[in-house]
Amino acid sequence: MLLDVKNLAVSYGKNKTPTISGVNFELDEGKILAIVGESGSGKTTVIRAILNVLPGGGYVSEGKIIFNGRDLSELDADSWRSLRGKDISMIFQDSGAMMNPVHTIGKQFVEYIQTHSDLDKKSAYDMAVEKLELMNLPNPENILKSYTFELSGGMRQRVGIAMAITFQPKLLLADEPTSALDVTTQAQIVGELMFITRGTGAAMIIVTHNLGVASYLSDNLIVMSQGKIVEAGATDDVVKNPRHNYTKSLLASVPEMGRRRYV
Amino acid sequence: MSEVIMRVENLTKKFPVSDGKFLTACDDITFDVVKGETVGIVGESGCGKTTLLKAIMNMQKPTSGKIIFHGEDITQLTGEAKRQNYRRIQMIFQDPTAAFNPKMKIRDIICEPLLNFDLIAKSEVDAKARELLTQVDLPADFVERYPHNMSGGQRQRVAIARALALEPEVIACDEATSALDVSVQDTIIKLLVKLQREKGITYIFICHDLALVSMFSHKIAVMYLGNIMEKIDGDKLSGARHPYTHALLKAVFSTEREKNQYIEILPGEIPSPLDVPSGCPFRNRCTYCQEICTTQKPPFEEIENNHFVACHYPLNKAH
Repeated sequence: MLLDVKNLAVSYGKNKTPTISGVNFELDEGKILAIVGESGSGKTTVIRAILNVLPGGGYVSEGKIIFNGRDLSELDADSWRSLRGKDISMIFQDSGAMMNPVHTIGKQFVEYIQTHSDLDKKSAYDMAVEKLELMNLPNPENILKSYTFELSGGMRQRVGIAMAITFQPKLLLADEPTSALDVTTQAQIVGELMFITRGTGAAMIIVTHNLGVASYLSDNLIVMSQGKIVEAGATDDVVKNPRHNYTKSLLASVPEMGRRRYV
Repeated sequence: MSEVIMRVENLTKKFPVSDGKFLTACDDITFDVVKGETVGIVGESGCGKTTLLKAIMNMQKPTSGKIIFHGEDITQLTGEAKRQNYRRIQMIFQDPTAAFNPKMKIRDIICEPLLNFDLIAKSEVDAKARELLTQVDLPADFVERYPHNMSGGQRQRVAIARALALEPEVIACDEATSALDVSVQDTIIKLLVKLQREKGITYIFICHDLALVSMFSHKIAVMYLGNIMEKIDGDKLSGARHPYTHALLKAVFSTEREKNQYIEILPGEIPSPLDVPSGCPFRNRCTYCQEICTTQKPPFEEIENNHFVACHYPLNKAH
């Protein structure tokens, strides 16, 4: 087992009632877990808690997160720094926003690689080129010379994924990785995420509100509502035989081609 | 026979950019809108859907072409006639948070258009706002609230109430449900359909989600790089014949899809509208591209009743 989340609760600031509570799940190596739910259901809070990057005074108020046999709450700042971006890395909704707009992508990519390895500048650069090629980006050297705003949304997202998989992390956390993209680009990125995780054996937790993407990608599915897990299980079971009423209503409201028409 | 309420004729909009070049946002677009029906316009970002809507809303003057509404070309209207025309066409925006003044109460937001056209007295504002809120299934005492006191779905209902205030004939929706959760999206669509049945409103609905549009549109137009590639009845979408429509249909992730089924991916990205390919705009992403596609732009032809396709080699059926 790679990741074991036990009875997790997260609170913000002085607020006594936790934002999420009673979150339990396990994740094995190489498996994909999807967390779905509406906005405000706490799905992003779960993966931010795993990476210990909760915003604005958020803290784990209860429970444990065990990654690769280590209790993450016992790590100090240095251990976190070596863990993040190497063993666990994150793909954001808009990878352009995670980078500095006034530096080239290449500068930031090389800096990132050198932070986590002993490579010199030249080999770090070559490594960056190699990772971009893996993501089907044409002309990687040109991309390394560009600034984030010069790339399209799909290209930026590919750069973000290329950075996230650079050190072959054991666990990838993806927060709405395709939500800002067009449908055809979304299909491309989802296909690439599938290829990457199956190819490198990385486990992935994908947070999304798109039930179609979740059911396509994932082995296991968690449905969250108002900070609690309402249903969890193998993806096919949950999608085909939902037990909880919330899951049923959520599935029923997904627009499907040729299912029903209102006019 | 259904009555055509609006006719867009050869509408073209070019924006000048540096070096004397032009960005073609809408290229020779022609379609009819039938009274009481919904036209769904689908396409990826940058395909010109919003520019088309702005021309219909009379917020941007097209480079050439006409929009015939009630027998007159509304693009030529000026001054008071143009202002009065806004009473008949209203709009719902994508982001209801940005569409409202945060310092105004819901009552004033909803009734502002009515006051602008001197249709009601100030003393009637409260009653009218309550009536409109009831129409969109919100509690009437929401009149006292501010936009930030409401959820996204509730705000979008207020936006609908404001659009309804002037009793327009046409409502243009620009990605009106894209910012909402699926369950909220579903209730908003049901509300729009209900209002259409009661009042006979015509919708022009812009959206990038083909599955959503197919649920409630009478007609669907698929746009690509400023051109309408295919126009088809909403219930016949599975019979689409343009390769681009096929690609969009395949890119929809369905929960009913078999696990690990191969997804067919459209290669590449939409070309820059500054540099539209010669011939068919879709040719460099099309798997069925032939020589004629690179030189001649395919005409927009009716191949079946109410089914128009701009393609030299339309596909046989959806597979």
